[in-house]
Amino acid sequence: MSFTIARTVEDALAAIAAGARPIAGGTDLVVGARHGKAALPADLVAIDRIAGLDEITVGAGNGGVTLGANVSHHAIEHHPVLAGSYSALADGSALVGSPATRHVGTIGGNVMNASPAMDTGAGLVVLGAEVELRSVHGTRRVPIGELWSGPGRTIAQPDELCVAVHLPQPAPNSGSAYLRLEYRRAMEIAVVGAAANITLAADGTVAAVRVALSAVGPTIVSVTGLDTLVGSVDDVADAVAAAASEQATPISDVRASDRYRRHTVGVMARRAVVAAARRAAGETIAIPVNRTLGIGAAS
Amino acid sequence: MTISTPAPNPARFIRADGPDKVTGSGRYTADLTLTGMLAAKFKYAGIAHGRITRLDTTAAKAIPGVFAVLTQADVPNVRFGGFVQDRTLFADGVVRFEAEIVAAVAAVDAATAQRAVDAIVVEYEPLPVVNDPEAALTADAPLVHTDWASYGASGALVRERNDASFSSIAKGDVDRGMAEAAVVVRSRYDADGCHAAPIEPRAIVAQWEGDKVTIWTTTQVPYDARAGVCETLELPANRVRIIVPHLGGGFGGKCGFHFEAHIAALAKAARRPVRLLFSRREEFLAPDKRRESICYDFETGVSSDGRIVARRVTMVLDNGAYTADAGFFSQLGAMHALGPYRIPNLLAEAHLAYTNHQPSGSVRAPTAPQTCWALESHTDEVARAIGMDPVAFRQLNAVDTGAEGPSGQTYGEIGVQECIERAARMAGYGQQLPGDEAIGVAIGWWPSFAVPSGAYVKIDGDGSAQIITGAQECGTGSVMTLPQLAADELGMSAADFQLVYQDTSVAPYDMGATGSQTLFNNGRAVIAAAAQIAEQLRALAADHLEADPADIVLANGQAFVAGTPDRAVPIATLAGIAAGGELLIGHGSGMPPGPPPISGSTCVGDAGVAAWVAPQFSCHAVRVKLDRDTGVARIMHVAAAHDSGTIINPLGAEGQVQGGVLMGIGQALTEGTSYDNEAHQRNAGLLDYKLQTCADAPPMDIHFVQINTPNAGPHGAKGLAEAPNVATAAAIANAIAQLVGAPVRQLPMTAERVWDALQEVAQNTIGGAA
Repeated sequence: MSFTIARTVEDALAAIAAGARPIAGGTDLVVGARHGKAALPADLVAIDRIAGLDEITVGAGNGGVTLGANVSHHAIEHHPVLAGSYSALADGSALVGSPATRHVGTIGGNVMNASPAMDTGAGLVVLGAEVELRSVHGTRRVPIGELWSGPGRTIAQPDELCVAVHLPQPAPNSGSAYLRLEYRRAMEIAVVGAAANITLAADGTVAAVRVALSAVGPTIVSVTGLDTLVGSVDDVADAVAAAASEQATPISDVRASDRYRRHTVGVMARRAVVAAARRAAGETIAIPVNRTLGIGAAS
Repeated sequence: MTISTPAPNPARFIRADGPDKVTGSGRYTADLTLTGMLAAKFKYAGIAHGRITRLDTTAAKAIPGVFAVLTQADVPNVRFGGFVQDRTLFADGVVRFEAEIVAAVAAVDAATAQRAVDAIVVEYEPLPVVNDPEAALTADAPLVHTDWASYGASGALVRERNDASFSSIAKGDVDRGMAEAAVVVRSRYDADGCHAAPIEPRAIVAQWEGDKVTIWTTTQVPYDARAGVCETLELPANRVRIIVPHLGGGFGGKCGFHFEAHIAALAKAARRPVRLLFSRREEFLAPDKRRESICYDFETGVSSDGRIVARRVTMVLDNGAYTADAGFFSQLGAMHALGPYRIPNLLAEAHLAYTNHQPSGSVRAPTAPQTCWALESHTDEVARAIGMDPVAFRQLNAVDTGAEGPSGQTYGEIGVQECIERAARMAGYGQQLPGDEAIGVAIGWWPSFAVPSGAYVKIDGDGSAQIITGAQECGTGSVMTLPQLAADELGMSAADFQLVYQDTSVAPYDMGATGSQTLFNNGRAVIAAAAQIAEQLRALAADHLEADPADIVLANGQAFVAGTPDRAVPIATLAGIAAGGELLIGHGSGMPPGPPPISGSTCVGDAGVAAWVAPQFSCHAVRVKLDRDTGVARIMHVAAAHDSGTIINPLGAEGQVQGGVLMGIGQALTEGTSYDNEAHQRNAGLLDYKLQTCADAPPMDIHFVQINTPNAGPHGAKGLAEAPNVATAAAIANAIAQLVGAPVRQLPMTAERVWDALQEVAQNTIGGAA
């Protein structure tokens, strides 16, 4: 049993190579252990004090943004560039847990925990994010949609650490939004959720749309068949809602039946498209869109 | 119409225990550590119904660090229970719900104790699971207690097989009333059970010294807990001391006798102090206290001018596996199903059905919120059926001063009509609203409980004072209000008094933080105790000032001669004089007010709750916004008007209403226990049992209709802790029903259930059109 405090990524990678599990905010790991989901690993390496891993770098790569793995949900929610140009991610981060959870919970932890109900995942998918995985043997980048292999599972090797999430520069005249069905306004987990990224043509019709869904399958579901979908926002929203309900493979559990999830994920997808299109048209809808439009309020 | 007579010193004061609690300096039971203390863990049944065919603790006892392993064979063979003696400390051959305790372990630490629990071998012959209260009452239902007939029980209870308590209230001729009605409306409603869910999970520490045991515990009812320990471990009351450190909430869930005897028995066997700390999951599963599920069949007949002429209601309450304090719920539930209405012909029948569920018990206003929800939903259906506005219907049919209630009690001055008028006005009832919003209105009521209670008051030589009371503070602030009452009596300041409380070996008896009774009864006791000292002080002052004791006035920390305020002596000076002679010690109890008469009704299974001392009334009006695409309801505003008599501390009273309303919103929308087919709780945790959060709290307007009620508590006060929890879910339901176009017949009205109701309305509309 050991607890190592890493000061550098290299320290952390060495500890992980030796079998330790990384811990940052601990909001999933510790809570999961307390609920008997999985015992707390015997050897832990704390990565929360690694210098620079909590930085948000604007203009990275080809004008995109790089989030260090330790960037908190609170930091994402309140970052003007993320809120303005990567709104679907900020919408999601702003819904996580409570203010306390958002201050300690990190984007790296959220992504690697691989919950299909995670609030940032659908937004990252529609924004085309890539995850940077590093080990003592090297570094690789994985498109976020390829990272998750099942509930709580990723394709990362045991010795790999997520060190960053890269977001490409958004297309001109685009906007994004994430919203979820929720039964209360804090300490909530998505019943279903949907993110949309919309690019508008000059005439205000939809030129491109990406949609991803949370809590309706073993991983975040990227809605397919939308590549050729163009038209008015309303028409696109209708088509997306139908596709979302069609492609969802929800389960029935104590939170909702599969039938209800299948229906409401379409509703959420439609609203995400409409909110994203409004943002693409230059309208400011404050983060998170769930609160600004009101829970259950027709958008 | 209403006389508004405030208390002598209406004061908005901050409760004295607040700073301790919010700064973390206050100590709770789980904070206690004693030298050599062991950790306790329970072995639970894990199945809902089964006969134990093998129970072997040998391996568990052999684990190093294990000091004691107990089963029913190790404790006195006592069946206990306040209403029905249907229970033993540990399973006695049969387990009847999933968290029934089969064995208990004390070990050096929690991990070792858990290992020992896991090493206990139990084998079961499965028995048929009784999972549905209504089905439990059928003739061929398996019996939860095959020996039910041989159990000792309160003589007031009417019992038969799985029906642990049948109760009925009848008046007039219900059949004739129905036959003469212009319109008869029938409704079915189903309410799920739910939980008290206090923030502090249960904790108990027990330590023996010789043949005396001290138990620190998280109870709302220390004397009841003591009685339970004494009964089950066969000890006299004066050898058991119950101390409650700060209590982290209760909401009724910590009423009754729970696990104190198990831990005391472990500590005795281990010869060491033992501490039990519940996990959140245990807090959901194991206590014999959760809000009972109830199903209802209503039938109400009205005349063409909108008057209720007859009501018939049948209800089945889920008792769970054992009758904790739910024995009186059938009669109390029947009262709530009839409601605060004038009904000439009525019949209410209530059954308390044994099932293989967690036992039910007093959670904040037991039977009331769910029954109010069902009755008031039904009431809106009745009003709609005869084309009347629901508020006008209630104004016409609700009881009023001088009117006779359903059980034949004639009320003195009460404020229900003013509550209706006030709540509707605060909510803006009748205003034009957007198409996805509506205002629902509901009225509720709740008894005050007049019971014995005691307190001491003393003033020491320096003039500082103490109230030593049996009363228990569970978070309502009632105990915190007691200094105000003593101060008013003695002409002192509330700040002059310190409280000594929550210790059964120090203070006289009180029933505890239950039944909204603390201020009502212990207030009377404190005033009586203070009055004794006031008399002493007047005699001392009369001596000192050379005046007649009858002319001495106590005010502003001084004793002075009436009419000549400069002939005065500080009370502190008198206390100094008394310290050298006859000490300033008062003891008080006072006679609780007797029950009001009832006439004209017949009560079977009479548990004594058909006649209500100082009844409290309320009306809540709630504006709801509905997302018709998802069924998600959002509470936009709550207006709550309450007649709880005189309000002693408006700030504390408002806090009670705010908390009760928020709890009511949870019960309305998100809080309900879901059972699987094997009678296991599916949502025994805070992730899937969804309490409302601060972020969900809507704006509220609160008004108190203050009537100085005779035959009530101090200064005409009634209770207030439970009443705010009664009408909220009902008012929300009536708003949702307007928006859906039909009532949602299950509680909680989850988003999915509301959506299902919307789908059904849409289908019926299409079907009707075709």
